[in-house]
Amino acid sequence: MIASVAFRNFKALRSARLALQPFNLVIGPNGSGKSSLIQALLRLRTLARMPLRDLRREQDRLHDAAEVTFRFEPPHDGLEAVLGCASESVCDLLQIVPLPTGEGADDWEGLRKKILGLRAYLLDHTAIARPLYPVSSDELAPDGGNLGARLAALRDRAPEAFAGLRAEVLRLFPEYSELMLRPEKGSFALRIADPSENALLEPEDLSQGTLYTLALLALAHDPEPPAIVCVEEIDRGIHPRLLREVRDILYRLSYPADRGLDRPPTQVIATTHSPLLLDLFRDHPEEVVIAEKTGRAATFTRLSERTDLGELLAEGGSLGDLWYSGVLGGVPEEQP
Amino acid sequence: MKRALPPDPHHPARPPRIALLGESIVDETATAILAEAVLGGPFERVQPNLRARGWPSVLQILPAIARHLHFHTDADGLIVLVDADDSEPHTAAHEAPGYFHPRCRLCQLRATFRRATKTLPPARGRERVLRAVGLAVPAAEAWYLCGLDETVGEAGWIEARAEGRVPYTRRELKLRVYGTERPTLPLALERATAAARRHARDLRRLENDFPGFAAMADELRSWPRALALRSPRESASG
Ligand SMILES: [Zn+2]
Repeated sequence: MIASVAFRNFKALRSARLALQPFNLVIGPNGSGKSSLIQALLRLRTLARMPLRDLRREQDRLHDAAEVTFRFEPPHDGLEAVLGCASESVCDLLQIVPLPTGEGADDWEGLRKKILGLRAYLLDHTAIARPLYPVSSDELAPDGGNLGARLAALRDRAPEAFAGLRAEVLRLFPEYSELMLRPEKGSFALRIADPSENALLEPEDLSQGTLYTLALLALAHDPEPPAIVCVEEIDRGIHPRLLREVRDILYRLSYPADRGLDRPPTQVIATTHSPLLLDLFRDHPEEVVIAEKTGRAATFTRLSERTDLGELLAEGGSLGDLWYSGVLGGVPEEQP
Repeated sequence: MKRALPPDPHHPARPPRIALLGESIVDETATAILAEAVLGGPFERVQPNLRARGWPSVLQILPAIARHLHFHTDADGLIVLVDADDSEPHTAAHEAPGYFHPRCRLCQLRATFRRATKTLPPARGRERVLRAVGLAVPAAEAWYLCGLDETVGEAGWIEARAEGRVPYTRRELKLRVYGTERPTLPLALERATAAARRHARDLRRLENDFPGFAAMADELRSWPRALALRSPRESASG
């Protein structure tokens, strides 16, 4: 798991640091660094695939060059990964630096394996609904495009996990009575519960929110989920009443032990613009990161660092109201 | 009482630092212009990103905003502007000492602010954040029409509603102000700003026709004296 990310001159993140939790909900205006955070993580994964370059001598470093430094949780807290950039956008140097303390200083291979397990999703309902075959089903595609194939693979390879997923689908969407798989088409369908209708709804007939929820369920019920998962705009297309379920689906990844699952936690980094979703994190301000942009510089703050949060909430209004009102930061700058 | 003293001419007033809470950037922009006209000079805007999500969210969030401004900013005062929609307009009778109309949003906001701030200890060199609440009946667009459209005003609104009529809807007001019920933000800002500047030249008509504005203006007029009473050290602190 990634313990922290520190940015220097990386896009709008001129000088910003963020300690990461098992679950992280990042809120903030557009251009405040939410996507830059995910881009930096993806860049780390890409460079981790390649052989490491020799340590660059200190004097060769570009003075103002962008740099992103990652630290990790045990058993790899003895290593630091430094992403060096030749310019604001070209980051092609990865250095792995042993730290004076911590475990795993000699286990870059072990850490590399975890980093390679990082996945970022920006689900796309049109991709999910598009029949696509043949298609790889080993893992969910970044846009969710192979969801049908992935569901079929889960059913064949992990029937118990699939049964859990199916039960969740039917609980969340009681208007359906069955999740039908069509591996031959790489697709799926939902049977309408009303027996007088006896109809199947194809992905193209299902709502965006239903498709996104199904994709998140496929991730969360994967018996071997990615080590780190970034999901952008988790509230997109989701009915406000279902936001809690979306949060809980992702919590299943981050806190598997709470669901009786014996597997390592997946670190989740999710973004949202929904005050209604934020309302659900009142008891866990440590899971909320406020991305803030002042002028051209962006920074990150944990909501739990706001020491008077309890008093503000005690005054009335919801966490989402507080965020919207502007007193927590993380709102767009306006120029009337 | 100390409060009744005139402003001390030896302590030249710096521009007051004011936070503004409204339901849209359009109303806030117009209110800022009107507030400057009432105060007789420019003010420094504090925490410019404040925004309320409409009624009743603004009532719920007001105590937290008051607390935040008190401890985390150097705001001298907070201006709150809400639309009355179909709620009770604020009338002269509500201004009687100790009176509070439970369905008047202005009375509710004043009481909520008072409750929220009265127990706060002094902070940042001042005892409390000052308050001015405005109520636009039924919406800020009515203010923008004031003086141009004789049918628009609180007295007529109250009279019509007593007879069970709705003299104009919010949508009709928008149409009259912007020429469309769905103005773009730039258009709405342009019209609201122009209307506010027109009123700023002479506030009497707006104060006369809209007691919900007059109440805010009266509160604002009491501020310079309260600010002048603050010690020079406080006034100079940034
Ligand atoms: Zn009143």
